[in-house]
Amino acid sequence: MVKEIERAGIPVVQMCNLIPVATTVGANKIVPTISIPYPLGDPLTSKEAQWKLRYHRVGVALDALTEDVKEQTVFKVKI
Amino acid sequence: MRLEIGNFQVKDVVFGEKTMFSNGVLSINKEEAMAFIKEDEHITELDIVIAKPGENTRIVPVKEAAEPRIRPDDRPVFPGVTGDVESAGSGRVHALKGCSVLGVGMHYGSFGDGLIDMGGEGAKYTLFSQLINICIVADTDEEFERFEQQKKNTAIRMATHRFAEYLGTAVKNLEPEEIETFELDPVTKRTEEVNKLPSVVLVMQPQSQMEELGYNDLVYGWDMNKYVPTFMHPNEVLDGALISGSFMPSSSKWSTYDFQNFPTIRELYKEHGKSINFLGVIMSNLNVSLEQKHRSAIFVAQMAKSLGADGAIVTEEGYGNPDADYILCLAALEDVGVKTVGISNECTGRDGASQPLVTLDEKANALVSTGNVSQLIELPPADKVIGELQALARDGLSGGWAYDEILGASVREDGSIIMENNAMFCGDRIPGWSTKTMKEF
Amino acid sequence: MKKAIHYINQFFAGIGGEDTADYKPEIREGLVGPSLALNSMLDAEVTHTVICGDNFMGSNTDEAVEIILGFLEDKEFDIFVAGPAFQAGRYGVACGTICKAVKEKFNVPVITSMNVENPGVEMFKKDMYVFEGGKSAAKLRDDVKVMANFANKILKGEETGSADEEGFFPRGIRAQTWLESGKTAAERGVEMLIKKLNDAPYITELPIPKQDRVPIAEPIKDLSKANIAMVTTGGIVPVDNPDRIQSASATRWGRYDISKDERLEGGVYKTIHAGFDPAAADADPNVIMPIDAMKSYVKEGKIGKLHDYFYSTVGTGTTQAEAARMGREIVEKLKEDNVDGVIMTST
Repeated sequence: MVKEIERAGIPVVQMCNLIPVATTVGANKIVPTISIPYPLGDPLTSKEAQWKLRYHRVGVALDALTEDVKEQTVFKVKI
Repeated sequence: MRLEIGNFQVKDVVFGEKTMFSNGVLSINKEEAMAFIKEDEHITELDIVIAKPGENTRIVPVKEAAEPRIRPDDRPVFPGVTGDVESAGSGRVHALKGCSVLGVGMHYGSFGDGLIDMGGEGAKYTLFSQLINICIVADTDEEFERFEQQKKNTAIRMATHRFAEYLGTAVKNLEPEEIETFELDPVTKRTEEVNKLPSVVLVMQPQSQMEELGYNDLVYGWDMNKYVPTFMHPNEVLDGALISGSFMPSSSKWSTYDFQNFPTIRELYKEHGKSINFLGVIMSNLNVSLEQKHRSAIFVAQMAKSLGADGAIVTEEGYGNPDADYILCLAALEDVGVKTVGISNECTGRDGASQPLVTLDEKANALVSTGNVSQLIELPPADKVIGELQALARDGLSGGWAYDEILGASVREDGSIIMENNAMFCGDRIPGWSTKTMKEF
Repeated sequence: MKKAIHYINQFFAGIGGEDTADYKPEIREGLVGPSLALNSMLDAEVTHTVICGDNFMGSNTDEAVEIILGFLEDKEFDIFVAGPAFQAGRYGVACGTICKAVKEKFNVPVITSMNVENPGVEMFKKDMYVFEGGKSAAKLRDDVKVMANFANKILKGEETGSADEEGFFPRGIRAQTWLESGKTAAERGVEMLIKKLNDAPYITELPIPKQDRVPIAEPIKDLSKANIAMVTTGGIVPVDNPDRIQSASATRWGRYDISKDERLEGGVYKTIHAGFDPAAADADPNVIMPIDAMKSYVKEGKIGKLHDYFYSTVGTGTTQAEAARMGREIVEKLKEDNVDGVIMTST
């Protein structure tokens, strides 16, 4: 699915936990998430902590859309 | 550690006056048996039905299977589950061979439940068509999950284990027809002859991905989601230390019966002292997050290396994201110089054209394939259904559906079915039974 | 009796070599050159032979295909056979091209044969049965025999074997099959390991396939003016799942209007993905589909716009073909709304 979007010339960032799956599938820009059932907010943490994490990682993904990368890249996140 | 499994070949199972085993016939007092199972108040409705190989009978939704066994020394057959936590894997256990106890929903199924056809075209899709199945057909008071797609199925699964042990009492004090012995010397205390053979471990990845407890495989009664890889004796696996959970699509599932008879362990035993030195089992797990998957692969590779393994077989109870655990583990072992073989099924889609595992690595260069979870299977109606056929379509079994614009619903009015292999009960026989493979067509 | 039509090039029709490679398509009733051999081995009558120059097919492909499909329009045939093309590159490509066109137009089985070195193999093996043939015409009878044997099975409606057993190039379709030997996975696994430990040759049952890569799209220059869309394979849908998206092996997708929402509320949206514990996402769907964070970035002016809809399907067990189709359908919608970039969340 990522490939079809990119094939159409639309830049795309995949946010997922299983980086090896994304790289095998052929995503070019990848931002890691924290798990499969709750990629962007651990229910055991506070709502505020979840929001911070989600806001940060989505921001990294948005910035990644503007990055001129030459190969498959996994972008670093801080929280 | 030395384990003796005393075998009793069951040629027939009948209801009778007394629960007893004689001349190959297991006779069950149904009333007493029902009363025993109903000691668990969560079982609200119950029947016991016997299904034999060759009958035109369809069983669904099947949740669990176990081989009837008993320990003459009174230790529990499933430690931490049917009794206290006591060590498994040594001493004597008696087993009723050629039959199994099945836990079947009287009405409701769930994602990991499966289907068994005892005869006809469908029989080839599961091992359990070859066994005499003593089916616990039950409904429970587990209202919180009645209409959930994911169910713990605790009452029915636990009834299966308890009833397997109950039936075992029929052979508690009898002399087995045959005794199989499983024995390995401690890893550092083996003869020179054995030591000079290439050393091999079996890495098992049982299903442990549900973060909420109650769905996962158990080791000595402990939920394997809260577990890190450890070194185990293969006898513990063969002797009831592990029981199956309730989550994985059925064709990828390892039932408790599978653990008790794990063919890959038996095969490694067969070669032990001849072509290999079988060190034991690294019991790993399957995880949800990448970090957890990495951590387990590190544990496994380190243990294998420290034990001096030259080779390893890795096998996973699952497909989809568990493939990531599987491939990571194979690659981590190869990275530390342990030669690997993997055993798992594939998911190449209904058209067969999809990537077979969700992650791939060229280091995984020796793989055994046991089936395609998404192969479509169409079967004619059966004369008799044990359980409830609609469950396949209605309840979100992994290989069934209520609606499809092209294929229609999984269950048709005449009782014929169309489903994915996914819902064949333990259909891909990943523990090693599978005579299926995957080929290019 | 069933009927077959055979395609050959100018050389095998006896018309000539390189100097006549521009020969325009022609159809003849009856047998020409290799058709004789094919007709003698096939449980069908070869009623016609189509002849075309390799260069004509190579340089005027559309025209050649159109003419030949025109020839076939009023003919009855149950199977279409081309070649064998051996190592002849242009002939191989011609066989593949015409077989593909015939299969698409008339939906009959098509079969051809080429040597492994023939560039036509890579181009067409996924589209049809391309049998592995010899290097030169010395192998003509053998190659025709292999094709004919297989064609006979198809004509009789018999089950056909795997690529290895039948001798065609793997088409990228993997299916389960029962081993005649009855050897169990445990036996095969242990045997494979012992071979690997002893550096003896073994054959993996799952060769790791090569990966297909897509060029990286041009990055967005000015995010503050960009229209961003969200897509997920995590199965987030309105609670009544209006598009009836399947919880595994999905063939359907949906798009849901979030233009007026600040975030996705639990109880309004949920996940129908069956591959994981849904509790967290049901309670707060933003953990999979972070509409709340995106809306916040819109307010702050980091992005110009959030596309009015988010798109959702389920990733687990979904075939690549279905995923690609759904991807293309979604792309259509994204293009209609001039979406500049996409964030896709997966579980």
